[in-house]
Amino acid sequence: MKKFWLIFSQEYKRHVLRRRFIFAILSMPIFVGFIALVSFLSVRMQYNGSTVGYIDSYSILSNPQPVPEKVSSLLPSANFVAYSSEVAARSDLNSEKIQAYFILSKDYLSNGEVTLMKGKKAGSNIESDFGSFLKYNLLAGQPAKVINRLTLGNNLIVRSADGTRELAANNWMAIAMPFIAGILFIIAVNISGGYLLQAVVEEKENRTMEILITSVSPSQLMGGKVIADLLVGLTELTIWIGFFLIALRFVPQWVSVGQTSNIDASSVLLMVATFLPAFVMIAAAMGAIGATATEAREAQQIAGLFTLPIVVPFWFSSAIMFNPNGPIALGLSMFPLTAPIALPLRAVFTNIPLWQIVVTIGLLCALAAFSVWLAGRVFRIGMLRYGKKVSFREVFRPQSFQGK
Amino acid sequence: MPSIIVQNIVKNFGSYIAVDDVSFSVEAGEIFGLLGPNGAGKTTSIRIILDIFKPDSGTVSILGGPMSEEKKNNIGYLPEERGLYQDIPLERCLVYLATLKGMENSLAQERVNKYLVRFDLIEWRKKKVKELSKGMQQKAQLITTLVHQPQIIVIDEPFSALDPVNTQMVKDLLREERDSGKTIIMCTHQMHQVEELCDRLVLIDHGQSMLYGTLHDVRKQFAKPAVALSTPDPLPALIPGVDSIKQENSDYTLHLLPGHSTQELLQTLVKANIHIEKFEIAMPTLDEIFIDVVQKQGAVQ
Repeated sequence: MKKFWLIFSQEYKRHVLRRRFIFAILSMPIFVGFIALVSFLSVRMQYNGSTVGYIDSYSILSNPQPVPEKVSSLLPSANFVAYSSEVAARSDLNSEKIQAYFILSKDYLSNGEVTLMKGKKAGSNIESDFGSFLKYNLLAGQPAKVINRLTLGNNLIVRSADGTRELAANNWMAIAMPFIAGILFIIAVNISGGYLLQAVVEEKENRTMEILITSVSPSQLMGGKVIADLLVGLTELTIWIGFFLIALRFVPQWVSVGQTSNIDASSVLLMVATFLPAFVMIAAAMGAIGATATEAREAQQIAGLFTLPIVVPFWFSSAIMFNPNGPIALGLSMFPLTAPIALPLRAVFTNIPLWQIVVTIGLLCALAAFSVWLAGRVFRIGMLRYGKKVSFREVFRPQSFQGK
Repeated sequence: MPSIIVQNIVKNFGSYIAVDDVSFSVEAGEIFGLLGPNGAGKTTSIRIILDIFKPDSGTVSILGGPMSEEKKNNIGYLPEERGLYQDIPLERCLVYLATLKGMENSLAQERVNKYLVRFDLIEWRKKKVKELSKGMQQKAQLITTLVHQPQIIVIDEPFSALDPVNTQMVKDLLREERDSGKTIIMCTHQMHQVEELCDRLVLIDHGQSMLYGTLHDVRKQFAKPAVALSTPDPLPALIPGVDSIKQENSDYTLHLLPGHSTQELLQTLVKANIHIEKFEIAMPTLDEIFIDVVQKQGAVQ
């Protein structure tokens, strides 16, 4: 057991202390930050917060007030100034004192007709800003509760026929969670599996195999590596999620996280229980592939095939949502390679019978153990085949090699 | 009781017979030579001994029984395919591999440092392994083989890539290990190294054991009736009982005709008043024996 931990710690440190790992860690937030910055700049370039005029000749708005601004708003709403005549407004537009002006028609309240005259520098924000301005002032005098309700809309709650499950429309996080977790799972599998694959191929290229194999058992070796690379992937994910949470702190008004407290603890538990064995299963299988391949690039290509079945449930997500007990949803949630995404997603929309959960997770655990064993065996056979491939017929041939 | 007992091991790879009924034993406190041409089955035999391969038939006993995970800590192996982690500092690499052999980290650290000093690598300890020359990496690999003070040492071509100074140092080290009671199996093609170091040997060719015994016995077995002679006097062209004469300066090798003894030759030379500085039975070199056996086996095959 001590040697298992030695392999584990060496493998973990070997990856985490590398400069490549630091770059990988930083590249994601830098990339996301860059995308966010570019998106912000593209919005900012079309934004113009300067004064906008409006002509309310028929006094539809009584005593109009500006919409109260959020303190932290990065792109504050344009300032609206009333004009008594279009001539005055047009003169100010021509002299660029205002960027545009709106004219409320006589029948605005019945047909909503508004005319917009804008200059060359008018921002794309003025229409929605004026919409908010109108809504706010038309509702003036109503109780705050009514204003809020009309602004925020309804919260539709969908309840299953047996009344045991319900999903509120504003709790979008509960639906998004399996999707987000699924994407994170795929990323984690790819990172960790990639590391494992790289480690095994490197071990072959370094020719350290015979030294290792005469020091530790293949199961200790592969087990230690699988768990270490799992943690390397999780470390990377945790740091990214950390960056994400820090980013959320700075831009809370941009993202409404929803009622996260409504996320069922049991669905989180189900995700963890599905993800962990699935992760070990896939990572170890990738390790086995690494041991059969002769060089890293080839192994990477074969490993890419593993990602394919994992993402299949995403293509069938509407089938899972609308018919969570149908054959597609059932099949995908129980097939080991698709279960990590399909099972938690299905659980959001239906009550999955306990036996199905037990069978699926049991199968995943058994396959995880088998994968580690298989990886150890392939590793052992593959290690002595420098520059030669290992056929899977050899792996299952009983007598040639020791199968500890 | 021998530390290693190999009994009738057979290993086939498909239709290819890599090892065919090979048996030998190795005692503690001896250096045992495992010889043979390329592809003879040496490395396969070693991998069977070390339990990397299972034999199709036959048995191997290591330190009194089959290989176990615990016994792995008592084995130092320098494989034919050399390799160390290239991307980490030398010292960390060696300490890690030592701890995999069951050593505590602090002890591993201490011993690795001692060996680094002895192998003149101490200044390189913080360098990445890939920055070291081939010879330095070879020395580092030898440290990995010896640092945990294993009972059994298996080394495949230990002198390749080493300069004469380091070769001598490794020879001294192996002798030290032998004298302290270690069991050493050495695989090599360099016959003069075997002559210098090995106590006993087995020669394998085409998977079969061709020669087995002490160095002296093997050479005696192959000794032809010949005499090595040194004399300042010129030798007559014809000497009774002598088939042919080879000369190198004042050294001669005299091959005798069948039915004639060295004793008769000595008497003849004395009678002819030839001054004799050296007169000894000429033993074949291991190189000659190796070529002789391998060529004969090749002819049979």
